[in-house]
Amino acid sequence: MHIDTAVVLAAGEGTRLRPLTRNRPKPMLPAANRPILEHVFDALVEAGIEKLVVVVGYKRDRVQDHFGPTYRGVPISYVSQTKQLGSGHALLQARSVVDGPALVMNGDRLVDPATIEAVDTSYAETGHTSIAVLERQDTSRYGAVEVQDGDIVNIVEKPRHDDFRLINGGVYAFDGDIFEAIDETTRHAGELALTDTIELLLESARVRAVEVDGMWVDATYPWDLLTVAREVLARGRVVESARDEQVWVDNSARVHDEATLQSPVVIGPDCEVGPDAVIGPDVALGRNVTVGANSVIQHSVLDADTRVDPSSTLVDTVTGQDVNLGISTVVPGGPADVQVGTEVFEDQRLGAVIADRAVALGDVSFVSGSLVGPNARLATGVTVDGTVREGAEVVR
Amino acid sequence: MCGIIGCVGRGDETLDTLVHGLSKLEYRGYDSAGVALANSHIDLCKHSGKIADLREALSDRTLSGSVGIGHTRWSTHGPPTDENAHPHQDCTGDVAVVHNGIIENYQSLRDELVSAGHTFTSDTDTEVVPHLIEDALDAGADPEDAVREAISRLEGSYAVAVVVAGCDSVFAARNDSPLVLGIGEDATYLASDVPAFRDFTDKVVYLADGEFARLNGDGWTVTDTDGTVIEKDIDTVQWDPEETGKSGYDHFMLKEIHEQPRALRQCLRGRVDELAGTVDIGDLGDLSPTGVQFVACGTSYHAALHGAQLFREAGIPAQAFLASEYATATPPIGDALVVGVTQSGETADTLSALRAARRRGARTLAVTNVVGSTAARECDHALYIRAGPEIGVAATKTFASQLAALNLLALGTSTTGDARQVISALRDLPGHVQAVLDESAAQEIAELYQDANAYFFIGRGYQEPVALEGALKMKEITYKHAEGFAAGELKHGPLALVTENTPVFAIVTGDDERARKTIGNVKEVEARDAPVVAITDGQSDVERYADHVLEIPETHPRAAAVLANTHLQLVSYHTAALLGRNIDKPRNLAKSVTVE
Repeated sequence: MHIDTAVVLAAGEGTRLRPLTRNRPKPMLPAANRPILEHVFDALVEAGIEKLVVVVGYKRDRVQDHFGPTYRGVPISYVSQTKQLGSGHALLQARSVVDGPALVMNGDRLVDPATIEAVDTSYAETGHTSIAVLERQDTSRYGAVEVQDGDIVNIVEKPRHDDFRLINGGVYAFDGDIFEAIDETTRHAGELALTDTIELLLESARVRAVEVDGMWVDATYPWDLLTVAREVLARGRVVESARDEQVWVDNSARVHDEATLQSPVVIGPDCEVGPDAVIGPDVALGRNVTVGANSVIQHSVLDADTRVDPSSTLVDTVTGQDVNLGISTVVPGGPADVQVGTEVFEDQRLGAVIADRAVALGDVSFVSGSLVGPNARLATGVTVDGTVREGAEVVR
Repeated sequence: MCGIIGCVGRGDETLDTLVHGLSKLEYRGYDSAGVALANSHIDLCKHSGKIADLREALSDRTLSGSVGIGHTRWSTHGPPTDENAHPHQDCTGDVAVVHNGIIENYQSLRDELVSAGHTFTSDTDTEVVPHLIEDALDAGADPEDAVREAISRLEGSYAVAVVVAGCDSVFAARNDSPLVLGIGEDATYLASDVPAFRDFTDKVVYLADGEFARLNGDGWTVTDTDGTVIEKDIDTVQWDPEETGKSGYDHFMLKEIHEQPRALRQCLRGRVDELAGTVDIGDLGDLSPTGVQFVACGTSYHAALHGAQLFREAGIPAQAFLASEYATATPPIGDALVVGVTQSGETADTLSALRAARRRGARTLAVTNVVGSTAARECDHALYIRAGPEIGVAATKTFASQLAALNLLALGTSTTGDARQVISALRDLPGHVQAVLDESAAQEIAELYQDANAYFFIGRGYQEPVALEGALKMKEITYKHAEGFAAGELKHGPLALVTENTPVFAIVTGDDERARKTIGNVKEVEARDAPVVAITDGQSDVERYADHVLEIPETHPRAAAVLANTHLQLVSYHTAALLGRNIDKPRNLAKSVTVE
């Protein structure tokens, strides 16, 4: 039987993506110029799902406001997880609105519709719980699985040895009994992990492994959004109309005749791009972004309502929403060591991450690898190097 | 006001279709509801209370018939009782009628019918209609002619739908009350508003005043009063039926407050070009009015006050009038453009005012949310605010969209110096409203002051209409006393009401003379120990004199009005929620008021 209901888990903040998650959960961060969750819904709708159930929690308003009651004609039910006590606990919140088998997946990772269809088909043919698995060189960062004759026989979170070839793809088909199985799962440190429940299932039932390849991308750190955008553009998973090969421009956007768009590039609804601006390659502009005359934007993701005043240069930059960058802002980009808390991530290609509603008044320069918190105010002529905290005022 | 529905061609699903449609119309009134199905006789069920009560009453009844009508009522004549609920019937029980509007000559008709021996069972004006039909049927007329004859006797406003025993048709007519047909594959619908049948079809035909419709198994025909067939255009509506869902919110009002960024984007889409500094509102741009008179009611009137200021600032004489006053005491119009601001496009007072203006030869423009509404069709021009359907009775997102649309109108029809600055502020508005939604401390304010005796709101310039709107919202959904004043008026009387139990909300934006003077008023109330909540962009030092601050992003004062209002919407919403009020359907109120 084809499964018609999907449960999408979108309640967690995604703390490693701070400061971009100040006002919204990770699934609402941009994959190119649309929320990650929109891509997840696209894949589900394209795979034939007829009912979407979304578990919301952290900043749930943002999910509800964006999607409303339907997505592409498919009705959405929202259920709330008020405390984020693990993926199993999240799924449990959907119990009252799910009747029968369901596909379950995370709302913060982009997967191919074919992956979802394959899991659905496996369940339809065997009637057994089915899980997407993928081959990975290094399984130590994921949930690794051991498969015999198409059945999962072992599942290990972040294994210390490299005997594994396959990882858990996070796309599941469960029958209605999954909720009872979660009830019987032991909590660890107060949390209920879905993988623990699957371990429990392995003791008494067959769990099918559905080996897939194809798109499977997510963002762990803010700069990963640049990689995600590149992947989305390369695969053409864009809704705006194509003006040219890999140049997508929404019909409501205004791009000056004297501006240059270099593929791949996507310009969202209501955007304005001024004369002699150069946008691309690998640039995604969200809704209502303004780029002033003579500005150059490359390898960057600018989220909704961001303004870039004339004669600015942004390379390898991620902005949050409603960021205001004054005249002659410069982010030169290139590889840098990025410090997050006490951790240093070496040689990351990152110009700057500038979070929601930060303001740079003009002539502000960013040393590569800078992280600017939400609502920060950078005075004219400042050079930013390293981390600027939320709401901070930086003066010369 | 009330909501009516009818359908033919749904077979065994007729009753379910009617009840489903009524649930979508419940926002139009909700003190009683009923349905009638026609077969060889009439099966009828009606009940005081909500649609849920009707469903309950239907659960142990069997109603059969494949043509039917239904009604959800908001009392105008007679209290909400089972007897006064629609449909109403004649003496024989072979005719059933639902009606929205007011029949002005009902008393004389009723006297005439009573003396002719008819027995009335309700206090409603509507009940004259089935008895008139009964008389015509008795005189030998066929059902259609009988209904026509009865309609011809009516004066006033009405949208009526009629079924007659043994007849497979629904008859309908309208005058001054909304009525729209829904054209399905095998079925035809009629209703006061599209959501009633939007789940079944997106093809609609809007009836005009004086038109008569007959729906039966063969389809539908629209005729004029003489019976001549009128060719009607079939329109397609874009609205998604599921947009009537609450999408995870407890109330439509909160959902709609949160929809403001999206509504504003839709309002502005394709109409502004910031880099060129231009506004495109189509052929409205050629109006170039030399004077403007706004007519509106309630929240729309507050938007109209904002609109009048916009034109005055552009050097064009402009005034906002309460539509109910304008209709009966119309001022000299000269060659002014008369602009009706009405969310639904069906507000009876505003329609009357616009008609009064048109009778004097004035050019009229409707600023409305509803395409095909009466205001949009009757006026020379229409500017749509594109906010999408609003279900909560208290207007929220439509006010924001009205302000944005009026700014477009002012920019598009006149030349002002700082067009680009305003356009830039308008384009920033969706993101700025989102900032208010993300950060507002409104809930804490509501918790602190939910027990206050009264709430006062003050502002100057563009913030004065916001003060009035803040108070109206508070009244509507919390049932508490609230008043808004031009800040300077406070000392001319209302200050006597100010005590330590009356929080004062002061909207202070910018740092100009207006801001400084309003801060002076803040000090006046502070001296009377009233708690002060300042809504400010932080440019002035008002926070020094306020007990609490609700912050808005720094922007143009016109855009600041929308932002300040968003905080006040949230304060009212959270106060009403804490007080346990029926937020989406406050007592005694209806969404669009189609009676004068």
